[in-house]
Amino acid sequence: MKGDIGKPFDRVDGRAKVTGQATYAAEVAVKNIAHAIVVGSAIARGRVVSIDIDAAQKRPGVIRILTAQNAPKLRDVVPDPKKGDRVLQLLEDDRVWYAEQPIAVVVADTLEHAQDAATSLVVRYDAATADVALEPNLSRAFDAEDLGPNGQAASARGDVATALTTAAHRIERTYRTQVQTHNPMEPHATIAVWHGDTRLTVYDSTQGIFNVRGALAKRFGLPPENVRVISHFLGGGFGCKGAPWSHVLLCAMAAKAIRRPVKLAITRQQMFAFVGYRPRTIQKVTLATDRAGKLLAISHDAIAECSRFDRFVEPSGLQSRHLYQCDNVTTNHKLVELDIATPTFTRGPGLTSGTFALESAMDELAYEIGIDPLELRRRNHAERDDHEKKPYSAKSLLAAYDQASKRFGWASRPMKPRSLRDGNLLVGWGMASVTYPAKQRPASARALMRADGTLVVQAGTQDIGTGTYTIMSQIAADAMNVPFERVRFELGDTMLPETPLSAGSLTAASTGTAVKQACDKLRALLEALRTSPNQSWADIVAHAGRHEIVAEATANESERKKQHSCHTWGALFVEVKVDPALARVRVSRIVAAYAAGTILNPKTARSQYIGGLIWGIGYALMEHTVRDEHTGRIVTPDLVEYHVPVQADIPDIIDVIQVPEEDLNMNELGVKGIGEIGMSGSAAAIANAVFHATGKRIRELPITVEKLL
Amino acid sequence: MKPFTYVRAEREERAIEITKNGGAQVIAGGTTLVDLMRIGVMQPTTVVDITGLPLDTIETLPDGGLRIGALARNQTVAYHAAVVQRFPVLSEAILAGASPQIRNMATTAGNLLQRTRCAYFRDGVSQCNKRAPGSGCAALDGYNRMHAVLGTSEQCIATHPSDMCVALAALDAVVHVRGAAARRAIRFADLHALPGKTPHIEHALAPDELITHVEVPASAFAARSHYVKVRDRSEFAFALASAAVAVALKGKTITEARIALGGVATKPWRALEAEAALVGKPAAPAAFQRAADLALAGAKPRAHNAFKIELARRVVVRALTEVVGGQR
Amino acid sequence: MMNLVCVGSAAPEVAVDGIEPTCDRPRVIAFIRDWSAERERGDDIAMMRAELRGLGAELLVLSQDTSWSFGPDDHIEKLGCDLAPAIARLADRFGVAAGGEAVFVIDHENIVRFVHRASAPLPRLVDALAAANEAMLTTRRENAVLFTRREWNITALVTGFAFVFLSACRAREKPQAPSPAPAPAPSAAEITIELHINGKTRALRVDPRTSLLDALREQLGLTGTKKGCDMGQCGACTVLANGERVLSCLTLAVMAQNKKLVTIEGLAQGETLHPMQQAFITHDGLQCGYCTPGQILSAVALLAEGHATTDAEVRTQMSGNLCRCGAQPNIVAAIQAVRRGGGR
Repeated sequence: MKGDIGKPFDRVDGRAKVTGQATYAAEVAVKNIAHAIVVGSAIARGRVVSIDIDAAQKRPGVIRILTAQNAPKLRDVVPDPKKGDRVLQLLEDDRVWYAEQPIAVVVADTLEHAQDAATSLVVRYDAATADVALEPNLSRAFDAEDLGPNGQAASARGDVATALTTAAHRIERTYRTQVQTHNPMEPHATIAVWHGDTRLTVYDSTQGIFNVRGALAKRFGLPPENVRVISHFLGGGFGCKGAPWSHVLLCAMAAKAIRRPVKLAITRQQMFAFVGYRPRTIQKVTLATDRAGKLLAISHDAIAECSRFDRFVEPSGLQSRHLYQCDNVTTNHKLVELDIATPTFTRGPGLTSGTFALESAMDELAYEIGIDPLELRRRNHAERDDHEKKPYSAKSLLAAYDQASKRFGWASRPMKPRSLRDGNLLVGWGMASVTYPAKQRPASARALMRADGTLVVQAGTQDIGTGTYTIMSQIAADAMNVPFERVRFELGDTMLPETPLSAGSLTAASTGTAVKQACDKLRALLEALRTSPNQSWADIVAHAGRHEIVAEATANESERKKQHSCHTWGALFVEVKVDPALARVRVSRIVAAYAAGTILNPKTARSQYIGGLIWGIGYALMEHTVRDEHTGRIVTPDLVEYHVPVQADIPDIIDVIQVPEEDLNMNELGVKGIGEIGMSGSAAAIANAVFHATGKRIRELPITVEKLL
Repeated sequence: MKPFTYVRAEREERAIEITKNGGAQVIAGGTTLVDLMRIGVMQPTTVVDITGLPLDTIETLPDGGLRIGALARNQTVAYHAAVVQRFPVLSEAILAGASPQIRNMATTAGNLLQRTRCAYFRDGVSQCNKRAPGSGCAALDGYNRMHAVLGTSEQCIATHPSDMCVALAALDAVVHVRGAAARRAIRFADLHALPGKTPHIEHALAPDELITHVEVPASAFAARSHYVKVRDRSEFAFALASAAVAVALKGKTITEARIALGGVATKPWRALEAEAALVGKPAAPAAFQRAADLALAGAKPRAHNAFKIELARRVVVRALTEVVGGQR
Repeated sequence: MMNLVCVGSAAPEVAVDGIEPTCDRPRVIAFIRDWSAERERGDDIAMMRAELRGLGAELLVLSQDTSWSFGPDDHIEKLGCDLAPAIARLADRFGVAAGGEAVFVIDHENIVRFVHRASAPLPRLVDALAAANEAMLTTRRENAVLFTRREWNITALVTGFAFVFLSACRAREKPQAPSPAPAPAPSAAEITIELHINGKTRALRVDPRTSLLDALREQLGLTGTKKGCDMGQCGACTVLANGERVLSCLTLAVMAQNKKLVTIEGLAQGETLHPMQQAFITHDGLQCGYCTPGQILSAVALLAEGHATTDAEVRTQMSGNLCRCGAQPNIVAAIQAVRRGGGR
């Protein structure tokens, strides 16, 4: 009903998920399916000289083995970086670019048979020395062309060099961040079903059904409307399921070759190999202020690793361009090519790695000057975005600082490190400013009022655990003044109106606005058919002799939004406890205040914020994908060597304050996305707290035991 | 996974008959074997299910020791009253390992025989003298942060991953086995092999030998025992370094001591000189520190694991401090 | 004289209002005297959808009173009610006698690939679809039907249909069949096992290598138990065996016999959720939902174990279930609520 926006409804898909009824891609029931697995290269660089499939083909149940020798060649496609297309490895030639690159697909009647046959393949390589070390290769760094959807790779305003000469205080520090691998709980899986030669249905675990449709259509030379992609539920994405990776195309290729539906799920180990990751960065930050601690110059130079065959830039410098008031700011991004797979958007691209550098540097600067870190932020608060040269659409950062610091008790923080104790544990308090871009892209939605009073709302969007099913239902219920329980929201099917991929924290804003506009149109249509003031919507539909009345809308970024710089804001305060002898760090308490415009559902919003914060704990303290420097192979390729935070790592107290904020400059609902803001600033706040506890400044993530011993 | 013949053994003799010819593996909990079969590191032609054998009891012996059946599951042992009260280090060590689900499945004997987590062993393609004798050791020059600093050789530096074994090593457990011709008792220190020049030989069991039970003798020190483990996250991770300690005190003087290390050695590691150095000393930091130094004497660091030496020293000190102080 | 529409012949155009005469994707056309989607059980419709996906086809059920069409992933559409005369004419052109029933599978080039005619009422339509799927995999060489071990229960049906398939008149040119297996080497001996799951006993044949997890997901249609890593490191595959939480990915199916197994599908009592399930919803202990079944079963077992009372203890003992979305704090809240509320 009206007023349903802002209510903490239980997730509408909750029941399906707790009863095991929610169907993920690999679980779609398809009879007589064949099972495919991807076989990866043992070497990281060189050539596959030959793959002898004779013995493997004779193994029980084998249907087909595809290699570069016999695989059908798909259409050559120039990847569209705006769509996040990646350069893929589709068994086209013998070149190896990275370890575990797909080099064969084995298709059999059962999974066990496919796995068994794969072990009988005889692969001969011509291996070249793999080069995967970043530090020794920095001299090869080159300027990135651009940041993809994030704009220019380099920015400059004012005159940093001159400003540095007049500074009273100045620090220059280098920070290093590690490879972080997404590791959603559900491995990527695809089922491909051909209907003849020219129509294809794919069930895929994806954040972007239209991206998948586009890639399949182009590669197989089909009109997009002949390809249907369905993804009703997916078990997490975090950016690794944004654009389709090689295995999706290989699955469709196999299904076409054997004229039978094929299911292909990748292994956990393969999730480290060819579905993207957050790259290593080396970031140099220079901050200079006047006597009073007001910033005179900021420079943020970032170098990231990349593959040799594709471009992705982790945009670490983004927040530095605008977060603090400063007339002289430069940022630039460089890349180093290595024998590795291509990185990709990983929850909070750029800001996760970049705020570690900037917010650590601000903390170091505060100590350099001798003022409280929060006070330093306040002194450098920017009222306006001087990078985009626009006013902010809304900026509740000061309110976030106030509310979170008060709840945390920051005012009683002693500056001196190693001042606080809990028994024999060292206690430290650290903080960070938090910001995240609020984007919106064109999206379409459809609303149908049925004669039985059900409101069906449809959009080809995705729910990656974000609560899309629920919040869209709330928007619709509110817009149409219909009970929430009578709304059914359908998503995850390219037959439905097109929306952007679920990434970049933009679904709520983009698809939410489209849903609102479709409902407004529907209301208008129904009102036009009203014949009496007491008619319900259902009555109106029935009276018009119809089963249902339908309205569609496409929502674009408004002119008003384009005139503003739109972000979500926050302030993060973290307490850590460190065992001084054993160097164990535990985050014991978090207080975070976030301002993100209209909060559609405070219960699911809180879960989103916490999700990002917990990722921050992992990024700061334990996650680390490591490659062997001789072979280029990943030596942490599973969930016991790669440490995502477990239950016992979660702080006793995570206090999330949702700061009320109205931001109608953003869109008519005032809605901004919040899926990634929890990442922003979190590694820095933790590292700053570790400094406060121990006196040791750690500038390289993750902060593991050996760094504090 | 390669195909195998599945056989369920209703009697010990049947299991032994099958395994004595090589090529077969017994399976109980499956937490090691199924994992290694699936990644192709172990490829038995026959798998013998011994879960039906009556080897799962836990009994107190007349002299106060403990007799733990080979098939008693980790979780059961960890929460058994006699273990918790009289051999607490064993309970703590088991609970420090793996996850509740794995502990519900894993058996005592399986835990003894679990295999290293070395990434080069497990990936099936790297040089690995343990998996493919003579092929070399990729860890020596590779990423060896998780690898051993004690008991290594130029052929292998793989860490033994078990927590339970560290406690059993400290408690002087005895492993009882039954072979085709005879039964025998193997002192715990003799069960696991150093890699030396034969890293593929990990323990003293002949192919026909089946572990039937483990005896943990009564002692003056078992009740005052404790396990400390440091890892990269709070739970469900292998040790960077761990220590199982036990002391018997007369007043403030140590009369007997046991120190075993985990996460840092190629087999569960008894620090005998460190133990000897504690006897007759006051239970105080100076003695603990000296013992810790002795325990890690001769440790050989590699490129990425040197920190383990200092960490293990501190873990020993912490474990001794806590066990004497009554904190657990 | 009836034109005998048989395998290999071109299918007649479907001249019925609201249905495409021919289309470039496979179709199943079923002439059934009396069938209504509204009377079918949800489970049967789901099975039909699975069969249609396997065929890559849409279904047209042409019945006397009403007719229906649906693709595997579409809402079921009821076609117009006044189609009876057109349908009767169509049946005639397909060679289906008045009152007779038949199922035809027509490929994307409008060639008939499978036919079953019956003068007695068909077994359930879903069985006819299953038989069609099996027939599509037949290898002509061996004159035998290659059926997967999963479809024991329609063996007899398949044999009967295969006879019809093979005895149909010759086609001028047999269209390309889906790839059959090349002369297979003898496979690992399959074993017949019995699993006691959620109070029911299910018999199935498994490769000894098959994990309990894969048996549940691939053969028994119980996809609630999730595969997160297949190596025992994430807990998503947690099930209860005799009340204890264990990992189904590291359990061989053959070794899961003689145990009382409970999967997530077995927790609720009909429509009534288990208190732990309800608590997870109320406290938002889930986001993407993939770790959720494992978390819930693990939590149920945790409470039965009785070793955890404080939040810290609950956290420690739930650390075998990974969650990447960040639902951990809410999961603890849900568990504690059930523990304090004394749920079952």
